[in-house]
Amino acid sequence: MDCGNGARARQHVFLLPEYLKDASKKMKSGLIFVKLVNPCSGEGTIYLFNMCQQQLFEIKVFKEKHHSWFINQSVQSGGLLHFATPMDPLFLLLHYLRKTGKESTGAAGQGKFQPLNQVVVDDMFPNCILLLKLPDLEKLLRHVTEEKEIDKKKYYKYSKEKTIKWLEKKVHQTVSALKTNNINVSARVQANAFFSGDQVSSDKEEDYIRYAHGLISDYIPKELSDDLAKYLKLPETSASLPNPPSKKNSKMTAAQKALAKVDKSGMKSIDSFFATKNKKKIGEI
Amino acid sequence: MESSDEVAVEKCRVHLRPGTLRDAACATLHLLPCEVQVNGPAPVERFFTPAIRQGPDGLEVSFRGRRLRGEEVVLPPGLVGYVTVMEEKGEGPVGKDFSEGSSNNDEREEQELAEPPEALERDFDQFIGAAASFSRFTLWGLETIPGPDAKVRGALTWPSLAAAIHAQVPED
Repeated sequence: MDCGNGARARQHVFLLPEYLKDASKKMKSGLIFVKLVNPCSGEGTIYLFNMCQQQLFEIKVFKEKHHSWFINQSVQSGGLLHFATPMDPLFLLLHYLRKTGKESTGAAGQGKFQPLNQVVVDDMFPNCILLLKLPDLEKLLRHVTEEKEIDKKKYYKYSKEKTIKWLEKKVHQTVSALKTNNINVSARVQANAFFSGDQVSSDKEEDYIRYAHGLISDYIPKELSDDLAKYLKLPETSASLPNPPSKKNSKMTAAQKALAKVDKSGMKSIDSFFATKNKKKIGEI
Repeated sequence: MESSDEVAVEKCRVHLRPGTLRDAACATLHLLPCEVQVNGPAPVERFFTPAIRQGPDGLEVSFRGRRLRGEEVVLPPGLVGYVTVMEEKGEGPVGKDFSEGSSNNDEREEQELAEPPEALERDFDQFIGAAASFSRFTLWGLETIPGPDAKVRGALTWPSLAAAIHAQVPED
């Protein structure tokens, strides 16, 4: 793949939060790229973990056809731009809580309370134990679990009701950010409004919610995404969609699936700015 | 997937040397609107840089006989750009050269709180370091400056949106 010269190291262009630079003063090592489960697709994905401050970062790759970098006196093909942005670890924990919740559900339909170190277990991705070191875990887990304390030891059980409410807050939080960042979520509605001249404001809010739901759906499994859509009272398929996305298409990537639920006619999704296959990119380093 | 090798890969951690983030020299980056199929040295300073002209609206240059138009893109606040490279195997811990005063006691403590070093660094682990940093780059388009709809500009708004998606929500 490379130009045959062994000394020619592949360069990666990264955008990192500035505070990592300052934080690096305190650490000799501790920033590591690890493969963890992707909470949406269940596949392996590269994340960045800050061991010193116990933070999780998601890696997204911007990739568009026909681009290359000139970096000082060198050329780097591909024109890839890697983003490391802080990620809410609860999305990953949720993956394990739901899994354990399902496995332990008996005939009565009641899940068991379990200690966290028996929940976050993964033969495929052993680095998941890093999640257990995160600070304020107990506080985080309160959003999505019922908890019990026996002999000063905490036991947790996945709660779908609490999770949906937590996700609803996430959606509204994202809607605010979409508005402040002036992300265009409703080109279609605006165009329609131009001709019919009604329902502009009410439709717009729904478009924001649908868009935010699509973004959040990139971090949760489809089942939960569907439940959230129902809870948010999002219409399952919009009548105005020219090509309703086929639900049976399992070949779609996580990002595509999320986008399929969003009305894409005439709008730009933030996620579409990134290559959907960001899994292998870092692994190649 | 291969079974035994795969396990090693799954366990493998790629360490980013923190010291290199502080000491990375400033780099000049250009994002070209074409795919150059090779990775390696290029005399950018000899051919490309001297040909850049300040036109009436934006920068102009030509590459392989095609006219490019471009402009400086400043990274969103709070972000730093880095160019990272993989260390060759057996190159040794470059970090030692960079982390001046690493025998500092505070630092030791911090280290031990996190995880003992031997647990962090194992034989099959790999290391990357930041070779250069940047706060802006030049974005080039063919014939015209990439407009506000350019995908890369959209991507640069991602960190602020990601912050909202992943921020903690208030408890009830």
